[in-house]
Amino acid sequence: MDEIVAEFIRRTILKIPLAEVVKILRIWNFLPESQLKTLNLRQSKESVSQEVVELCKKKHASMKEAAILDIIYHQTCQIKKIWIVYKMTKAPGEEVDLFDMEEFKDSFKKVLQRTLKNVHISFRESEDNAVWIRVAWGTPYMKPNQYKTTYVVYHSQTPFVFICHCRIKKYIPELCQALMTAGSYHEIRQMELRSLYLDSLKAIVFKQYNQDFQTYCTPLEERNLETEIVDPRIIHENMKEKERIQRVTREAFGDYVQPRIEFAQYKLETKFKTDSKNGILAEREEPFRCLVKFSSPHLLEALKSLAPAGIADAPLSPLLTCIPHKAMNYFTIREK
Amino acid sequence: MAASQKHGVLYQLERLEAHDQRSARQQGGHQGQQGEETKLEAKILKLRKLRDELRTKVKLHEARARIPIANLEPYESLKNSEENLEMKLEKAKAFFQAFHLTGLSGKVTTKGVCICFNTAFEGNILDSYYVDVIIKKPLTIHRHSVPVFIPLEQIAAKYLETNFQHFMYSLSEHLNAYSGRKYQADQLQCGFSAFLARPLQRNPLCTLLSFTYTMDPSEESFPFCARLVYEDLTTTLPTSVTITYQGTAATPASWEDQRAVHETLFYKNALHKVFESFLKVK
Repeated sequence: MDEIVAEFIRRTILKIPLAEVVKILRIWNFLPESQLKTLNLRQSKESVSQEVVELCKKKHASMKEAAILDIIYHQTCQIKKIWIVYKMTKAPGEEVDLFDMEEFKDSFKKVLQRTLKNVHISFRESEDNAVWIRVAWGTPYMKPNQYKTTYVVYHSQTPFVFICHCRIKKYIPELCQALMTAGSYHEIRQMELRSLYLDSLKAIVFKQYNQDFQTYCTPLEERNLETEIVDPRIIHENMKEKERIQRVTREAFGDYVQPRIEFAQYKLETKFKTDSKNGILAEREEPFRCLVKFSSPHLLEALKSLAPAGIADAPLSPLLTCIPHKAMNYFTIREK
Repeated sequence: MAASQKHGVLYQLERLEAHDQRSARQQGGHQGQQGEETKLEAKILKLRKLRDELRTKVKLHEARARIPIANLEPYESLKNSEENLEMKLEKAKAFFQAFHLTGLSGKVTTKGVCICFNTAFEGNILDSYYVDVIIKKPLTIHRHSVPVFIPLEQIAAKYLETNFQHFMYSLSEHLNAYSGRKYQADQLQCGFSAFLARPLQRNPLCTLLSFTYTMDPSEESFPFCARLVYEDLTTTLPTSVTITYQGTAATPASWEDQRAVHETLFYKNALHKVFESFLKVK
């Protein structure tokens, strides 16, 4: 087995948390179950990965299988890399899409390998009608660098593609062209939507975040404010205001759990507004460029809790509440 | 001082006391007077209670009198009223049955209406899909559970504003057809896997199915490679069927005959029904 392959497998196993190693190897289905059972997990991570490499050497694993292992790792573990959403559109009159997975894969490979030499492409289909494409980039004089890989997730018969770029950005046009040709699309554009969490991006773009149709069967009961106070002599001051805030928040954000994104960015290109006529910034014709970035481990839930916590006025600005509906978290605000 | 006592405070008090004693003697005993008073008080209370009861009775009577006359049919005999009720019940039942057959039902929400599309294929009830519409200018779809690959946006762009009924009809067609195709593909995959030489290949909309099957799984017979294309998203039968042989050997004439027959079968019948007929042939 190639030393490069061995080293790649060793490094991949090192990245996997110890608890997930056997699970991922099982999904990989390259090493037999009997060998997996004998794997000693009580040793250090380095020793575990070394043991796995030895087992793979005996079975003569190639880069092709190692690439599949890499894909499975990315599919199972939360990767700290940003996914960007792209939307493709068909030419008018070509809306019927008879998607054939095998044809798509062949076409994608052909187009990409025709334009670029030395690219290593791997595919893995997942259960939700999506295909994961892993591309390792090389140059005409260098073999593909397996550590600089771009991941593409494409849901067939939908216009959306999710791409996790690597640091090599110059092959993006060729990648997009291959996707368009293979999927029979006419154009592709990048959407203003990015996040670390692929599942949240899917939920936003496929509008699957608000799927509780139980209210169709049973009427929605009016929910009372939690009153932990049992003594009737104690009354809530501002009860009406609290109810109003709850109602407005529910209208803006709904009752469901928000999809998870970690930032929203607003690029302001508006003129500086001030009451006083004096000062350097007053009456300046050029727009005042400014970047506002909100970040949080779970931004939308945080925004939802702002008004009820009393930190912000309800209703919140529509610029904040429109994020899942408009499927955007990168905004540019210009002078009207 | 003694002289002013005659018209002083003490003198006034004495005069009042004497006056009081005189009037008490004039009117008989205090006790009797009090008894009279309590009797009168009790009578007043009783009369007041009676007055309140009568007032409520009058109000009830007035309310009953306001019931529209149309609901009161005092001259109908008991038998007729039963028949009328039965007729009404039958009519309502038939109405609901017809409604149920269309698979469409709706429920009013605070901002609009939530439509439920129930799908079925050949008498089998399949999945339900919901579309929540907000009634305002323009009509917008608030949320839905329609799968991503159904062209909901195109259908809405064409019909939602202009012809709501057509929008419902078109979407219902697409959803029922998709459910039907999916059902056929699932049935083939699960129920007749013994016939399949390799797993069924399908796309999310089930508009392209390709599979390889043999008539007799045990024997070494020439397999058939079938490719079914459904170009019309509103139908559950293929628009194009091609059966080929993927090997290098020459196919016998009997295979060619069977191929022609099978092609016609796939065009005209549901997928799983075709394979059911294969079972019967054996």
